[in-house]
Amino acid sequence: MDFSTFDEALDLAIGREAAAVQFYTDLLALASFAAQKSVLEEFRAMETGHVTMLTNIRMRGRIELSATAAVDLALARRLDAEDKATAVMSFQDILVSAIKKEERAGDLYADLAAAASVPEVKEIFQRLAAEESRHRRYFEELYESEISRDN
Amino acid sequence: MDIKDFIAPFAVWKRAFEKPFTVKKPIDERPGAPRYRGFHINDAQKCIGCGTCEAICMNKAIDLVPAAGYAAKEGDSGLRPRVDYGRCCWCALCVDVCPSGSLGMSNEYVWIDSDPEVFRYTPGVEAKPWDGSPLGYRRAEGYRLLEEQRVEMPELDYKEAVQTFLELVRGYSRQQAEKEADRCVSCGVCIASCPAHMDIPGYINAVREGDMQNGLRLLYETNPFPEACGRICTHRCEEACAIGTGGDPVAIRWLKRYIADQVELADYGKVLPRAEADSGKKIAVVGAGPGGLSAAYYLALLGHSVTVFEKDSEAGGMLRYGIPEYRLPYPALDKDIGYIESLGVKIERGTAVGSAVALAELRSRFDAVYLSTGLPAAYSLEVPGDKHPRVLDGVAVLAAATRGEPLGLGKRVAVVGGGNVAMDAARTALRNGAAVDILYRRRKEDMPADPDEIREAIAEGASLVEKAIPLEVRDAAGAIAGKQALFVWNEARMVQKEDGKRPVPEAIPGAVHEDPYDSIIAAIGQGPDLSFIGEADRLELRRFKPVVDGFGRIAEAAAGAAAEPGAPASASPSKAAAVFAGGDLVNDRKDAISAIADGHHAAQGIDRWLDRKGS
Repeated sequence: MDFSTFDEALDLAIGREAAAVQFYTDLLALASFAAQKSVLEEFRAMETGHVTMLTNIRMRGRIELSATAAVDLALARRLDAEDKATAVMSFQDILVSAIKKEERAGDLYADLAAAASVPEVKEIFQRLAAEESRHRRYFEELYESEISRDN
Repeated sequence: MDIKDFIAPFAVWKRAFEKPFTVKKPIDERPGAPRYRGFHINDAQKCIGCGTCEAICMNKAIDLVPAAGYAAKEGDSGLRPRVDYGRCCWCALCVDVCPSGSLGMSNEYVWIDSDPEVFRYTPGVEAKPWDGSPLGYRRAEGYRLLEEQRVEMPELDYKEAVQTFLELVRGYSRQQAEKEADRCVSCGVCIASCPAHMDIPGYINAVREGDMQNGLRLLYETNPFPEACGRICTHRCEEACAIGTGGDPVAIRWLKRYIADQVELADYGKVLPRAEADSGKKIAVVGAGPGGLSAAYYLALLGHSVTVFEKDSEAGGMLRYGIPEYRLPYPALDKDIGYIESLGVKIERGTAVGSAVALAELRSRFDAVYLSTGLPAAYSLEVPGDKHPRVLDGVAVLAAATRGEPLGLGKRVAVVGGGNVAMDAARTALRNGAAVDILYRRRKEDMPADPDEIREAIAEGASLVEKAIPLEVRDAAGAIAGKQALFVWNEARMVQKEDGKRPVPEAIPGAVHEDPYDSIIAAIGQGPDLSFIGEADRLELRRFKPVVDGFGRIAEAAAGAAAEPGAPASASPSKAAAVFAGGDLVNDRKDAISAIADGHHAAQGIDRWLDRKGS
């Protein structure tokens, strides 16, 4: 898959973020208690914010994301990708899902950047990959401070 | 009168035009001796503002005053000594007694000024020419007015201890306790670092004076678990102890235990305050751990009728089901709980809120509800294979040990984690005859467990494997298939990836190990079980924590922010009883004394809420 224009690249990114919003919406429908719903709603709101940000970038016609990737804590690759039953999802399960989702998005953008032949599009995907690495890092830090505090 | 008496005064006029004998300086450029007691100097960075200098000064020449640039923090009052040279006699007792060794004296002794007020100043904060002078009086090397070493606590020999669940620490005798109490300088710096703000100098003084009843009364002012905390408290107070800046900190925890051990439960009622008259208010407490029962105790004292709902068959929470009896014997815990129950606190054991009774029902039956349910749910390793039957949860292992159930850990056990649960699980496994490896992802100095626990676990025979990143759990092959699990881990090195942040363990390529174990105990952390709070309860939660105000009241989600305490009932967003929360469920400290402090604080908040609500 190759993208030749700025808009095409951003359409893909917006579509992915919208899918992330739907991901949390689907989980919310299955959540069984208030604490789960509260976290899922918070994370969904973050993804909604990303959709808005990318939509604004597309409207302005220029990308304003930092090219600096977050430091890789190497946590995402180590965590198990196994999906958990939604109704009993703990905070740990939800955070792991979020980290893995950000990791997959970052990997996809990195692959698209590598495959892109148009310099402008390559740069967009590189910056989107860096942005996803910062999202992943946010969740990883949350995981380290809230979940893995004894390890 | 003789004629000379008239003439003599005029005789001095003959000297009127002679050169005077006075000089501009009393002594020209004559330095003091190298160890002269000149003006004070103070290493204000090293000073902790304990005020021991102020206490020892018999001329009252020293006052502890706020100093610009030095804020109060744990282990530092933020104050610094100000010396009044109108009072100082240069005896240097302040220098000799200074626990941190920050005070000294320059050999400078000439200071001329027409303004008498300047001779009262704060050394080390207000700059003087002699600051940093290498000469002058200092406490001699090796000389201390204060005793540096604490009285050694008698303990079981580790080889003996690991054979039994008998209590490791034996406790002080009267002579030992009084000797240790004598080391305290009553500075009170420790009070701020104790989450419950216990009157530590007060009860240590009670030990010194042999007044155990007063000691017990002081303990119970802010902590109804002196037997438990006298054994297992995280003793942050000792980290702040002024004596610890130059020697061993005072054994505050052991002195607390000494007091509680000296008074029989039957005598508690003669010493401790009685409950106020019945208020007619009913409070439900969820969770009979230290936080819940602390709230119950103080609520009962205030005259409220308290019912505690506990899911387990015994009260005590993590003190009973998470701490092995060699650290906290059950009779000691039962003594603390017994006194709380003696005040009329009712504990409904084996009653889980959520299944046996709904939170909504409690909110309709009671005037207020306090949640102190802690962190009962162990987090998993979150690596492939972590559901292997030989992977056990550390909290569950400790609870099973408390219940006296067979643990079936086998002969070789891995414990993954570096917190207190990991240490207790390891030591429990050792007592069950297993060889134990503790695998921790970072370094020993990064481990969150109490240093005493780490030291004791290693002394008892556990092997600590640092910088071990868990990768996978696999079923063992061959003859041990199904009986053992292979724990796959990667050696790591610590890498400083970002300035200002702690180093990160980074896997060393190829340094992968596969070790067979009979059991792998996961103890990486625990989380709350909030499944009993439904959306209909409308309680605001954020990241699996209740959102509370200053008194621990949970905000009500649907109506936005919580109503102010004291607001009339009609102003409440909900007709259901207000819900408060505290302990591990809410705070970040995750220890018993913080839960106890939260419980006390919430009791005051609930009482205030009910009082002002006027219902």
